[in-house]
Amino acid sequence: MKTMIAGLALAASIFALPAFAADTANIWVRADGSNFMPRIVDAFNKAHENQIKLDIIPNAEIIPKYGAAAAGGTAPDALSLDLIYTPAFSAAGQLEDITDWAKSLPYFASLSPAHVKTGTYKGRIYGLPFSADSSVLIWNKKLFKQAGLDPEKGPTNWAEIEADAEKVNALGGDIKGFYFSGNCGGCNIFTFTPLIWASGGDILSGDGSKATLDSPQLRGAIDLYRSMVKKDLVPAGAQTDTGSNFFAAFAAGNIGITPSGAFAIGALNTQYPNVDYGVTFLPGKDGGWSSFAGGDNFVVTKGTKKLAVVKEFLDFAYSLEGQTILAKYGSLPVRGDIAKEALKDLDPRYQIAAEAMAKGRTPYTVVFNDLINSANGPWTQMVNEVFFGDDVDGAISNAQETMQSIIDQAPQK
Amino acid sequence: MTTIAATSAPARPRKLVGAGRRQWVGLLYVAPAVALVVVFFIIPLGMTAWMSLHNWPLMGEHSFIGLANYWAILRDTRFWNALRFTGWYTLVVTIAIFAVAFPLALFIERPRRLTGFYRTSFFMPAVIGFASASLLWSWLLNVDSGLFSPAAFDLGLTEKKVNLLATFQPAFWSIIAMVVWKVAGFTMIILMTGLQSIPSELQEAAMIDGAGPFARFRAITLPLMRRTLALALILSVAGSILAFDQFYIILRGGPRNQTLTAVYWIFNQSFVSFKLGYGAALSMILLAILVALSMVQLWLLRKPEGVD
Repeated sequence: MKTMIAGLALAASIFALPAFAADTANIWVRADGSNFMPRIVDAFNKAHENQIKLDIIPNAEIIPKYGAAAAGGTAPDALSLDLIYTPAFSAAGQLEDITDWAKSLPYFASLSPAHVKTGTYKGRIYGLPFSADSSVLIWNKKLFKQAGLDPEKGPTNWAEIEADAEKVNALGGDIKGFYFSGNCGGCNIFTFTPLIWASGGDILSGDGSKATLDSPQLRGAIDLYRSMVKKDLVPAGAQTDTGSNFFAAFAAGNIGITPSGAFAIGALNTQYPNVDYGVTFLPGKDGGWSSFAGGDNFVVTKGTKKLAVVKEFLDFAYSLEGQTILAKYGSLPVRGDIAKEALKDLDPRYQIAAEAMAKGRTPYTVVFNDLINSANGPWTQMVNEVFFGDDVDGAISNAQETMQSIIDQAPQK
Repeated sequence: MTTIAATSAPARPRKLVGAGRRQWVGLLYVAPAVALVVVFFIIPLGMTAWMSLHNWPLMGEHSFIGLANYWAILRDTRFWNALRFTGWYTLVVTIAIFAVAFPLALFIERPRRLTGFYRTSFFMPAVIGFASASLLWSWLLNVDSGLFSPAAFDLGLTEKKVNLLATFQPAFWSIIAMVVWKVAGFTMIILMTGLQSIPSELQEAAMIDGAGPFARFRAITLPLMRRTLALALILSVAGSILAFDQFYIILRGGPRNQTLTAVYWIFNQSFVSFKLGYGAALSMILLAILVALSMVQLWLLRKPEGVD
C-alpha cells in the first residue's frame, strides 16, 4: 500500500513537470509493478523530452478496466501486461503488431524467450518482455540450523524436500516444515508445475491445444505434497489459502521450506531483514530443475498515435541503466546479454533467480484465466482436491476433461 | 399520474383542458425522478438486453448472435447448479434471519430499561458494508490467525485447530451466521415498526377476552403485520438471491466450487472469461426469476378479503 501511494505520488509529480515535452504517452501497469515502474518512468522523464504518464491499476482490475477503456476509446497508449494474457489480447485484435521493430533490435535474440513466446501470436509479435519473475525454492537457514541440517544447502530433489521439511517440523511448536497456498491456481502454476516440468512432464501441449494432466510426473508431484500434508508438515490454513498467505507465511519465520518467486528476495530483504534464507531452484523428482517464467510483457494499444514515444521508452528500459533500475526495484532483467552486469551490485541470490528465468517456461494459451487463474477454474479446483481430498484420480480426470472442453470452446480466430 | 388526476378531478370539477394542464404539471414534478430511473435503470437495462443478444467479448469486435446466448444457458449446468445453491442459501438464510429478527423485534418493541442500547447494538452490524463485514469474518474464521478455531483449540473444545472453511457444511453455516449477524438488525427494525403500528386496544381487548400470548400473536400480531412481513421478506429474498460479496471474499466459491451463487457465476463469465454478452444474458434470466419470485410473494401476502 505504501509503495502504491508512493507510486501514485510519483506518477502525479511526473504529470506536473513543466511542459517542454514534445509528446506524452500514457502507460498502465498492474499494482505488482508499483515498485519499479514509477522509478523507471521517473528516470526516463528526467532524461527525455518526450514524457510518460503512468497509471497504476489494482491487479484484479487492470483487465476489465482496459477492456472498458478500449471499448470507449480511452485506452492507454501502452500497457505493462501480465505476460500470460498476451495471447488473449493479441487474439482479440487489441494490440499493435510490433514485429518489424522488435526484430530490428540488435539484442532481440537475448530477450527473455518465455516472454517473446507468449508475446507472439500466429507468427507476429505483439508483446515484448518488460519485467520478469521466476519461481524458486526458499528455505529458512535459522530453522535448518536448529534442526541439525546444513543451513547452506537447500534441497535438490523431492526426497530431500520432504526429509528436510520433516526435520524442521520436528522442532515443534508453531514451526512447520513446508508451506504452499493450497487453494490458489496462480500460486501453484507458478511454483508447482516447475516440479512437473523438471521431471519431464507438462500440463498443456506446446501450442496449448491439448490438456495433458494425467502424467506420472504430475502424480508424483501430487504424492510429494499429499505425503507432506498427511505427515502434518503443512499448516492447516494452507488448505484454504487463496494466495493471500503465499509470501507472508514464510516471512513470519516459522516455515522451513516454501516454493516462492524472485520477488520474495526483494520483499524479504526490505520488509523482513531478520529472516535468514537461502534460494535454490525448484527441483525435479530426481534432481534437475525448472521455473515458471512470469512477469509482464510490454504491449502497445492498436492505433495509438504515440508509437514513437512508447518505443523510445522501451529502448530506455532495455538499456543497461533501465535494466539496472528494474533489477534494483524488484524485477529480474529481461535482457539475457546484460543481466549479469545489471545484477552485479545486488544480492547474489538474484543470480539464481535470473538463471532460473533464462530457462523459465510459460504455458501458452488464450484461455489462461479460465484454465488456471480463476479461483473457480479446473486447475485451482484440482490442486485443492488432489492435495487435500480423497479422490485423486477423479479430480485429475475431471480437471483434464474440463480443461479440454474450455480449450475446445475458446474463440478460434 | 393519471390516478392523481382522476381521484382529484371529482373534488373540484373542471373542464378537460384544466385536467390536461394539471397532468402536465404533474409530469413536470415527477420529471427528475423519471429522469433518474431512465438514466440509471431503463437505459442500462435496455443495454443489458441488447448485449445479451451479442457475442460481446471484453475486448475486440462484438457480433449479433440472436438468442444463442440463451440457448447456451439451457445447457450451462454450472449456472443451474449455482442457481440451485442460491435457492438453498436463500431459503436457509431467510428462515435464519426471521428466526433471529422476530424475537429481537418483540424484545425491543416496547420501551423498557436500556431499550435504546439494545436497539442500537442489534442494529449496529447492519450499517457495515457487506464487503467490510466479509473481510472481518474471513479473519475471524481463519484457522491459523483468526478467532474461532484457535479459541476453540485453546479452550480445549477441539483436539486440533479446525479449518472451518475447508469443508462445505461448516463453511456454509459460517456464512449463514455471518449474514444473520449482519442483516438481522435491519430486519428487526422493519418488523418493529410493524409491531408498533398495531393498536394496543386490540391486544387489550383480546386479553380481556381471555386470549393467551400465543393466541394473541397468532390471531392479532401476525395478520396485522402482513404488509410489514411482505416487505421484510421481499427485501431478504431479493438480497439473498443476489448474494455475492461474502462468498467471493470469504470462500472464493469454495470449498471446491460448492458455494458458487448465481451472481458469482455471472461475474465469472463476464470478468474472468470476458464473455460480457453471455453474462448479460444470465443477468436477464436472473432478473426474470427475481421479478417472478417477488410477484409470487406479494400475491401470497396480499390483503385477504374482509381484512382492512
